[in-house]
Amino acid sequence: MLKKLQIKKHALTAISFMLPLVVASGLLIAIGNLTGGTVIENYQEAYSIPSALVSLGVLGMGLLAPVIAGAIAYSIADRPGIAPGLLMGLIANAIGAGFLGGMLGGFIVGYFVLFLKKHLKVPKWAEGLMPMMIIPLISSVVVGLLMFFILGVPIVWATDGLTSFLTSMQGSMRFVFGAILGGMAAFDFGGPVNKVASLFADGLLLEGIYEPEAVKILASMVPPFGVAISWVLSKMLRKKRYTKSEEDNIKIAFPMGVCMITEGVIPIAAVDIVRVVVSCTTGAAIGGGFSMMWGVGSPVPSGGLFIVPAMTHPFLFLLALLIGSVITGVMLFLWKKEPANEYAEDTTEEEEFDLSDIKVNI
Amino acid sequence: MNIVGISACTSGIAHTYIAKEKLIKAGIEFGHKVRIETQGTIGIEDELTKEEIEAADLVIIAADIKVSGKERFKGKRIVEIPTNIAIKAPKQLYKKIEAELNSKP
Repeated sequence: MLKKLQIKKHALTAISFMLPLVVASGLLIAIGNLTGGTVIENYQEAYSIPSALVSLGVLGMGLLAPVIAGAIAYSIADRPGIAPGLLMGLIANAIGAGFLGGMLGGFIVGYFVLFLKKHLKVPKWAEGLMPMMIIPLISSVVVGLLMFFILGVPIVWATDGLTSFLTSMQGSMRFVFGAILGGMAAFDFGGPVNKVASLFADGLLLEGIYEPEAVKILASMVPPFGVAISWVLSKMLRKKRYTKSEEDNIKIAFPMGVCMITEGVIPIAAVDIVRVVVSCTTGAAIGGGFSMMWGVGSPVPSGGLFIVPAMTHPFLFLLALLIGSVITGVMLFLWKKEPANEYAEDTTEEEEFDLSDIKVNI
Repeated sequence: MNIVGISACTSGIAHTYIAKEKLIKAGIEFGHKVRIETQGTIGIEDELTKEEIEAADLVIIAADIKVSGKERFKGKRIVEIPTNIAIKAPKQLYKKIEAELNSKP
């Protein structure tokens, strides 16, 4: 049953659609930030080229959830899935459910459209209306309302709960506070939980409190650095942990991480979500705790390694970042299993393969 | 046999093309004529022509993701596999296909 649903294939299709978008948007934000750009608030006023680049990148990142949902629904239900899928992704954005909400919405609406295609019978004269009007409308209404009113509720609760929890934690131990903030910021790789932590840190920055901002920056860089460290460990100790295509993704994720863009880790996390999320969250939490305890502050909200010199204790920041990344890397290295289906580089000798599943379909 | 096919992988920049090469190389050893269309991130390359598909005895789709244009192969015998089988075990794949075809009337 699970095999027939081909969940992995649909998720991989979404990732293949998403990759060029993440890379382009991420680099736009990084280049814009480095050249002094900020997100344009009011397009009626004059703005600079760097600000235009940052804004375009942010707009592109906003397309992530719609593109993921649209691509998953397309993979499941073919062309009729695209339009409702894009809409579900927009809902995920609007209610603050991020890329996880987009994936969920894409799967639900994709299977729903497939179900409609197979089982909804209309009179002959209405057949032309099926792909054009009936399927997009019914699926958007049904799954859209489901997203808004049922799936959205727990996400909003979670967001509210976390925010009040954080506010009450503020007076207690700094390490715990930094650990929670760091863990949250790394937890979903730029998703809604990260945005809550990020908003919280940005809000405090306006109050003149710089420490949470440093924790946020650290936690955004721990996942890509940690994954890269686990990959280096696996190379050095000759123990396979990643498939060839994952290695290619890590090579993209690392430079993105230098620019404080965590999203590069998503393709690696999507395949092995529990191990990667737990390892990244743990590393970022511990690193964040140290950063907070040592009183590292950052007056700049983003910019990755390039803005470290602007921080109050740059070396302590780097030390905390290193500790967090090494913890994530070692955890991943020890915990991840050897990939089952590793691609051989180029061998004439073939290893035995179980091909009993392969059928010639006529 | 005349074989046509499609290869497509997730990142669409490397394994798509390795799978194509492996399928063609192993196919020649088994005396097949193999033509593979790649659907990478750059888009469709080496697109199969209508005549090639018509003349084909078998279609191999080596893909980890959804491929486009499957409807062109309507009525053909189709084998669907992930790219890693095409890359790691193309010879076994051809042997298996022959065994499958021989067992069917």
